[in-house]
Amino acid sequence: MAEDNLCIALNQVGKFVDTPDGKLDILNNISLDVKYQEAVVIKGASGSGKTTLLGLMAGLDQASSGDVFLFGENLARRNEEQRASVRAGRVGFVFQSFHLVQGANALQNVMLPLELSGIDNAPQLAIESLRQVGLEKKVNTLVEHLSGGEQQRVAIARAFAIKPQVLFADEPTGNLDAGTGRQIADLMFHLRDQSGTTLVLVTHESELLERGDRQILIESGRLL
Amino acid sequence: MKLRRATIHSYWLMFVATVITVAIVTSSQLITDRIGLLLDRQASELLAADMVVISGREFDAEYREVAKQHGLRVSSSVSMRTAIFIDDNPRLVELKAVDNAYPLRGRLERALGVTGERTYASGIPASGEVWVGSKLAELVGQSFSLGEASFDARWLLTFEPDRGGAIFNLAPRVLMNLEDLPATGLVVPGSRVRHRMMFAGELSDINRFKIWLTINLKAGEEIQDLENARPEMRRALERTRKFFALAIVLTLVIAMAAIAITARYTANREAPKVAMLRAFGISQRSLFRYYLRQLGGLWVAATIAGIALGWVTQFPLQWALDGWFGKSLPQVYSLKPFLSATLVGFLALAGFSLPYLVNATATPPMQVLRTAVNRRSWLRGLLISGSAIVAVFVVLVLLMQSSMLAVATLALVLVCAFVLPLVLGWMIRLLLFSSQRRFWLRQYLLSRLQAVSRGAIYVMSGFSLVLIAILLIAVVKDELLGSWHEQLPQDIPNYFLINIRSDDIDAVGAYMQQHRIESSKPYALARARLTQINSVDIGAIDFVDPRAEHLVKHTFNMTHARELPDDNEIVAGEWLDADSPRAQVSVEQGMAERLELEIGDQLTLTVGSKTLRAPVTSIRSVLWENFKPNFYLITNPELLADMPQTGLMSAYIEDRSRLDLKRLLKRFPSITLLDISEIMARVRAIVDKASVALQFFFIFALVSAMIVLLAAIQTGRQEREIESSLLRALSAHTSQLYRVHVLEFTLMGGLIGFFSASFATLAGWVISVYFFNIEFHFSLAVWAYGMLSSCLVLTIAGTLVSRRVYNVSPMKILRS
Ligand SMILES: Nc1ncnc2c1ncn2[C@@H]1O[C@H](COP(=O)(O)OP(=O)(O)O)[C@@H](O)[C@H]1O
Ligand SMILES: [Mg+2]
Repeated sequence: MAEDNLCIALNQVGKFVDTPDGKLDILNNISLDVKYQEAVVIKGASGSGKTTLLGLMAGLDQASSGDVFLFGENLARRNEEQRASVRAGRVGFVFQSFHLVQGANALQNVMLPLELSGIDNAPQLAIESLRQVGLEKKVNTLVEHLSGGEQQRVAIARAFAIKPQVLFADEPTGNLDAGTGRQIADLMFHLRDQSGTTLVLVTHESELLERGDRQILIESGRLL
Repeated sequence: MKLRRATIHSYWLMFVATVITVAIVTSSQLITDRIGLLLDRQASELLAADMVVISGREFDAEYREVAKQHGLRVSSSVSMRTAIFIDDNPRLVELKAVDNAYPLRGRLERALGVTGERTYASGIPASGEVWVGSKLAELVGQSFSLGEASFDARWLLTFEPDRGGAIFNLAPRVLMNLEDLPATGLVVPGSRVRHRMMFAGELSDINRFKIWLTINLKAGEEIQDLENARPEMRRALERTRKFFALAIVLTLVIAMAAIAITARYTANREAPKVAMLRAFGISQRSLFRYYLRQLGGLWVAATIAGIALGWVTQFPLQWALDGWFGKSLPQVYSLKPFLSATLVGFLALAGFSLPYLVNATATPPMQVLRTAVNRRSWLRGLLISGSAIVAVFVVLVLLMQSSMLAVATLALVLVCAFVLPLVLGWMIRLLLFSSQRRFWLRQYLLSRLQAVSRGAIYVMSGFSLVLIAILLIAVVKDELLGSWHEQLPQDIPNYFLINIRSDDIDAVGAYMQQHRIESSKPYALARARLTQINSVDIGAIDFVDPRAEHLVKHTFNMTHARELPDDNEIVAGEWLDADSPRAQVSVEQGMAERLELEIGDQLTLTVGSKTLRAPVTSIRSVLWENFKPNFYLITNPELLADMPQTGLMSAYIEDRSRLDLKRLLKRFPSITLLDISEIMARVRAIVDKASVALQFFFIFALVSAMIVLLAAIQTGRQEREIESSLLRALSAHTSQLYRVHVLEFTLMGGLIGFFSASFATLAGWVISVYFFNIEFHFSLAVWAYGMLSSCLVLTIAGTLVSRRVYNVSPMKILRS
């Protein structure tokens, strides 16, 4: 199958939800492919459906129609736990609001997914990863004492520590000032170039757009 | 500000709540066992033993041997009335000869003279010496003869444990060594002596031996133990134990509510983490294992800390009780308290925390991208409440065995736990829409309402539950103590005059009035033995209740009366028709239950050598502990008229009246005095001791309440911050908001206080009336205290929360 050689493939995917005002189409008839090692940037206005699309691609949510393939596996036929097992050890995330564990230090945050995946040398991997994002001096600092940019670096370290095949990022610079945002973007693309990780990045900032291998524009739930 | 940063790690709250639960179980088990023993001992001191057998003749030597085989300590005594000669004047004394083991419970106290220091005696009078009662104080240091032997009066005997309730004349005591008794030659065939054999040991050994003894008892021998000798003491003990059980159940409820609320809070805090981890592909199964490990670690740590804490609390308690009573709490060596504490900690965590965390592991991973609504599932709700109920019941069965009181209390609390969120939700709605508000305020309050329905309501319910439990303990305690004090007014009778000859009754009454000694009217007292029920020999009837046996074998008090005595209540049938010549008898409720008597049953009784028959016409409840003359059977006057009987009367004799009393006894030598002030003092002491021990559980309850409050302050903090930033964007004045917010908490506090006080009063009434058989008094103080404390605490909490929300820098809100 063609999908086997692709990292992600969407085939006429739609997403609807039921609201009090009736059925709402969030995404309509979306077909797209992402090859391994490709860097794809998805751009669209706020409310255009970017986050929804990212969730479907990563298998966090289930499509209402069409097929979603991740690593050649059809996610449409799988329940949440099975989809999680497709992601396990191969997918990393960076979020707009960081999603770090409060009350834990940087190292513990990076280690947590590694340990839970049963990886043996989690501490070494985590420290190495934190070094790569330039936080080797803040390893034992509680994350709530870090600045926004530093917190996002921890999140990036966490994502890269598992050496993912694909990294999903939903507006990773959205909560940061312009300068810091640029640094974070630099860091992400730098790490991706080093590791050859596939990157799917969602943003509404034009600046990030040119950095990808490919740009996808979305408007009102449709690809342009 | 320190507090603002103190996002107290949610596990810590859960940890502390669990430590407290474990500590409560540990210390309650350690303490109740020890207090129970102490109370038993103290009561036993009234007999100077745990059980006594009394007879006019010497006992079979076998008794002593068998008792020893049962692991009991045994002591014998012989007492009699005899005369000693002081300067050739005969003086009647109450002679008691005891062996080395005496007293098995309690201690003798002696002094060198009336003004001398009283000290505990380490033994009994040595051979050749006697100790004398205070009325013979002038003899101390002298010799006198007793029968054919001569003795030195070495000490003044100032206290003798088993004399308090024992019948004594004003004849003074002479205590001697049993070995010297034969030499006096006082005991000859036909002399009136009382032999007592006393036993003490472990309760289970005593009970086994009692069965043997009952079977082997000879005619004329009588067993006395707490059960039959001191009904008022037994009742006091029973109630105290019941109250302990109640207080412990309620304290545990509070601690468990704290675990549940902190677990819920923890689970909520874990949800984003779960969503993130699931996005990273971690399976629910490994998340479940992860939380299982966390809880396991928490359990181990909390168990160790809780047991240590529970163990340590014994010492201040011991100190408090020792300080008051000058005797140590008996030690109990058992692993059981520690094992059950460990188990309860496990059950509490498994029952309350695990379901919440299981629930948390189902947080949809999509939540990392967008706050998705976590659909509520009935199944999960059922899992949570179901496992909580199971946990609570298992804990209960484990700790309380089959205490109906505990089960009933718990049922009440459970009902409350289910009703509370509904009531509170309704109250909040009422509060929000009752007043006219400006638009922004209304918007704000509506958003608050949502927040409330999200989580605050559970915290509020938890807080309310805690308040109910605390108020309930206080209410029942007050009622119980109150019931004692009411029954023990200052001028309560302290003496019973018994054995008043029928012919003397009027004269004695007149004497009392003349000398203004407060006394009850005289009662006739006949000692009746039950021989037949409905013409069936009583020996041929099998009674289900083992306590029936005593009533079958012994005589009991019977009187006649025209009016129902004070503190008696008819529970079935109708009170006697005194003017009717028809035979009628009213039976005490407990006796009726044990002998399975019903209205209309025909009783055959013997009084001395006479026989009478009468139908049961009423069944009465009797307040045994009111220290007034109480009777198992009451007949109409006609029926008892020709029966052998004596008079009985209670009196309050102040020190100044003692001389009058002495003259009375000289005039009516048949009268015997029974001093009951000692018993009363001991009953009071029991209640006091129980109250002291309870303070400790109260401390635990308060700490648990604090934890609930902390969880309350933490819950929904983020939502509030977002709300506040939203409202600032609507350019509301912070101070306005602040005031509204605090006021809202205050009002909530008032409502919670009112509801909690109402429920506690209701439950207190049910428990008092049905489980303690005491009157219940509705008191507005409960409402006042409940509302005041609840308003205060919630206002403080509200202020803290508001400070945190409104002092938050706008920058921080922007960032999050
Ligand atoms: N569960 C849902 N229920 C209702 N509407 C939703 C739901 N999820 C997303 N939407 C709507 O779908 C649209 C697209 O949302 P989203 O994917 O978050 O857009 P973006 O990330 O591009 O800002 C928005 O208008 C949003 O309100
Ligand atoms: Mg978005």
